[in-house]
Amino acid sequence: MSLDVLFNQFMSGIARGALLFLVASGLSLTFGVLRVLNFSHGSLYMLGAFLCYSIWAHLLLPALGFYLATILSALIMGAAGLLIELFLLRRLYNRGWPEQLLATYALILIITDLVKWRWGGEFLSIPRPKPFTGAIFLFDFPFPAYNLFVIGLGAALAVFLWWLVYRTRLGDIIRAAAHDREMVSALGIPIPWLFTWIFVLGSVIAGLSGAVAAPFGSVALGMDIEIIVECFAVVVIGGMGSLPGTLLGAFVVGQVYSFGIMYKPELALAFIFMVMAIVLIIRPWGIFGRPER
Amino acid sequence: MQAGWLKQAWWLILAAVVGILAPHIISEFYLMILGEALIMSIFALAFNLLFGYMGQLSFGQAAFYGLGGYTVAMLLTKLQFNFWLSLVAGILVAGIVGLIVGYFCVKLRGIYFAILTLAFGQLLFVIIYKWHDFTGGDDGIQGVFPPEALKAPISYYYFILIVFAASVYLLWKVVNSPFGYVLKAMRENPERTEFLGINIARYQLMAFVMAAALSGLAGALWAPFYRSVAPFHLMWVKSGEPVMATILGGSTTFFGPVVGTFLMTFLHAYVLGFTYFWPVIMGSFILVVIFLLPGGILGFAQEKLRERSFKAMTPEGRDQDAP
Amino acid sequence: MKRRVSKGGLALFALASVLVAFAQPGLLSAQDTIKLGAIWGFAGPCHMLSESAVKGIKIAVEEINAGGGVLGKKLELIVRDTEMKVDVGAREVKDLILREKVNFLEGPCSSGVALALQVIHSEYKVLRITTMANTEAQVVDKFSPYVVQIVPNTYMEAIAATRYLHKRYPKAKKFCTIAPDYEFGRREEAAFAEEIKRLVPEAEIVYEAWPKPGEKDFTSFITAIMAKKPDAVHSSLFGGDLVAFTKQAAPYGFFEKIPFMALYDLPVLLALGADAPDGVMGFGRGCFFMDPNPKMMEFAEKYRQLHGVYPDSWAVQGYDGVCLLKAAIEKAKSTSTEEVIKAMEGLSLDSLRGKFSIRALDHMGTVPCYQGVIAKDPKYPFKIWKDISRIPGEEVIRSEEGVREVWKKTGVVR
Repeated sequence: MSLDVLFNQFMSGIARGALLFLVASGLSLTFGVLRVLNFSHGSLYMLGAFLCYSIWAHLLLPALGFYLATILSALIMGAAGLLIELFLLRRLYNRGWPEQLLATYALILIITDLVKWRWGGEFLSIPRPKPFTGAIFLFDFPFPAYNLFVIGLGAALAVFLWWLVYRTRLGDIIRAAAHDREMVSALGIPIPWLFTWIFVLGSVIAGLSGAVAAPFGSVALGMDIEIIVECFAVVVIGGMGSLPGTLLGAFVVGQVYSFGIMYKPELALAFIFMVMAIVLIIRPWGIFGRPER
Repeated sequence: MQAGWLKQAWWLILAAVVGILAPHIISEFYLMILGEALIMSIFALAFNLLFGYMGQLSFGQAAFYGLGGYTVAMLLTKLQFNFWLSLVAGILVAGIVGLIVGYFCVKLRGIYFAILTLAFGQLLFVIIYKWHDFTGGDDGIQGVFPPEALKAPISYYYFILIVFAASVYLLWKVVNSPFGYVLKAMRENPERTEFLGINIARYQLMAFVMAAALSGLAGALWAPFYRSVAPFHLMWVKSGEPVMATILGGSTTFFGPVVGTFLMTFLHAYVLGFTYFWPVIMGSFILVVIFLLPGGILGFAQEKLRERSFKAMTPEGRDQDAP
Repeated sequence: MKRRVSKGGLALFALASVLVAFAQPGLLSAQDTIKLGAIWGFAGPCHMLSESAVKGIKIAVEEINAGGGVLGKKLELIVRDTEMKVDVGAREVKDLILREKVNFLEGPCSSGVALALQVIHSEYKVLRITTMANTEAQVVDKFSPYVVQIVPNTYMEAIAATRYLHKRYPKAKKFCTIAPDYEFGRREEAAFAEEIKRLVPEAEIVYEAWPKPGEKDFTSFITAIMAKKPDAVHSSLFGGDLVAFTKQAAPYGFFEKIPFMALYDLPVLLALGADAPDGVMGFGRGCFFMDPNPKMMEFAEKYRQLHGVYPDSWAVQGYDGVCLLKAAIEKAKSTSTEEVIKAMEGLSLDSLRGKFSIRALDHMGTVPCYQGVIAKDPKYPFKIWKDISRIPGEEVIRSEEGVREVWKKTGVVR
């Protein structure tokens, strides 16, 4: 197989990985701090995509419409996350994690019907925004400009989260809280509010990634279930709650899938879960994760 | 002593009587729902052996349920195998795969256990789904008929009822045996149990295999009941059903999963009769139970009863209770 | 002690009331309506298709009832949801048969669910008209006398599409396929492989891609296909998946380099808008623009006034299904299932998609298959097709000998 073909397949995997990272980073972040596995993260992503479509269709601004819609839907999803945290999760922190898990599972069901009711289950599409409509040539082979945009956004989000977690005071608290909750609250830092804002941030990321996914593919009912299991694979392989882990997990899943499609298309999907199971068997807490005490 | 036992178990007898008389009272459609609820109750009880008694949440239990169904379906349709032996084979296959999967899973705790079971469940789902030539892929397998004697809905219902009663009896014996006490002790305090020289992993593995085999039995019962199986039966969404049923009914009580399953199954059948907005109703129902009835319906009721009888023993309580 | 009794009494009362609520309704006197059970999937990718189908069915039912019904009886429509799950579908079809006591069934959406339902309603001897789920297994491999199919089956649809593809690109020899990995996709591609080798003996399929249904990222599939440098690509992607594929393939210059054919019907063209690639081949089952005969256009106008959109093929076929039922009942002069089935066999219907008839052997309708090339049309704000070809079902249906051959293998006796 010639080198340029391999390179192209590699780049396809990178694009897939970038989109997965966008979604999974929010999931990983909330898990790292709140220790809540948010099943409904995929539903917030789907809601973000549908919202982005509706706002875009309403604005009718050819050049800026999509970007504005993306920002707005991310913010709206942040507000939704605020409500979910305040009225739902906050009341469940003193209960077992299975109940928290089930509560977020209930949200999947509710949001599915919300979308069904509001958008009627139609599949929708947003054209790719300017200036990312065409292709860019890499080694004489076209590469969709929008994929580059997604990769760039994924990288930007990674840098932002890295800065937030490792270079700010909030980040110190986040990392400390992931280690030892009691210790942080003993220092006088209000844990509940930390949780709220982290969950809001996670929801903003979900909304943002949903909006970005809208011009990438199509917006349709069922995209929530589709993405969430793959996101689990990403965060589990990399290590739940670990930012570099999520980055690595997204890269691995993207590449395994991309080259799986090339050589053994019928098994590509199984490969992902095999990798996931192998990692879990050898290092249950993931490549970059820490064992739970 | 004997009378005391009767007092405790009057509702069991009542349930048995209702179960036996049901086909003569309710219509065929509701009889079928009842049969479905009984099968799913076995599934939920198997799940709760791990969750309620061992303290581990499995999110991949549907894989064993589906494997049981697939084994029966393939033996019956491809090899025209004996029905009873197929059922046994379904239990065995689920149990053996449970042994392999469980070997890796029982080393983990809490959410990591849940996720590893989810990963294995999805892996098995993808294998069944993608292995088109062997399993029929997405179409599943149709035409899975029970033997002539069990073809009529009433006879198959009685068959389910007997298997259900036997499973309940077996599980009841298990959780009230020394083995069951060790499981509970491990849930409460794993370090101390280990200290007592008990090999936690081996006990948990035994429980895991038991739950897998019982889930396989439920799937094996379902396939001839509705004449088909599909890969969906192994998917994580299906694994969520016993989780929901158990937490709704109450995981700390033996019959909680049964109560939860019955509520879910009948409510689902009823709601789909007039709207397709079932998920939002189910979702709200879950939230209501989680917030208003902590511990699940049966768990909450038991808690309240215990509080009341406790109050009745104290002087103020007795005063209140006096006419 | 007293409390215990009252608790027991309460439980007894609750149980009794439940039993009363679910008790046998008792046999009603002879029905004065004909009950049609519509069983569709209102979840995921099926939701939108099912909504359309029910809209089409409702129009037909209302028209028939306004005209005095069938044999003087009104049609009554009961809709149920399978949630796209086989177990829910199996239960709901039993609900329709046992509790609602429907006379006939129409649906469902997905082929896998259809096969699971087929076993059950055949056992209860209730006739189902299938107008969307189109796996050939319903009428051939797993034939049941209680099924009538009036959507081009996977075999007919793929054979017809392959002939169109071959006519436009007669020199193509090296092919790739990409299809959703389930019953429908697998059967379409198997029929494509069969037909293209008949048309071009040296034809070769160099790569088969099987994305899972619901896949939204096709980038890796696209680069893998382009790496094989095929002469043409046949696909049975549809719906939201095809929208995603089209948008992701376009920047690679995919559609300029490689002739491509897929299920570009109205909803896909609507969703894609200006992104729909001109000159790409589509196949379909009869959206309004594929067969603009007067009857179809009258229906399209009515539909548009009611729902604000043009009817897609799901609505058209749903409508045709009810009309077929009416014709058969009137021919049989009875609503008894067996007699309606007998009347169906060989029945010819003047439908929205022109004339077709039901083959007696396997109950497959000789419905037409449509192909065309995506193009702008000043009459509509969205893209439609040009160079439309309508291949009558008779030309592409599996021959009777062919059907019998399959039956020999699968053990169907008829």
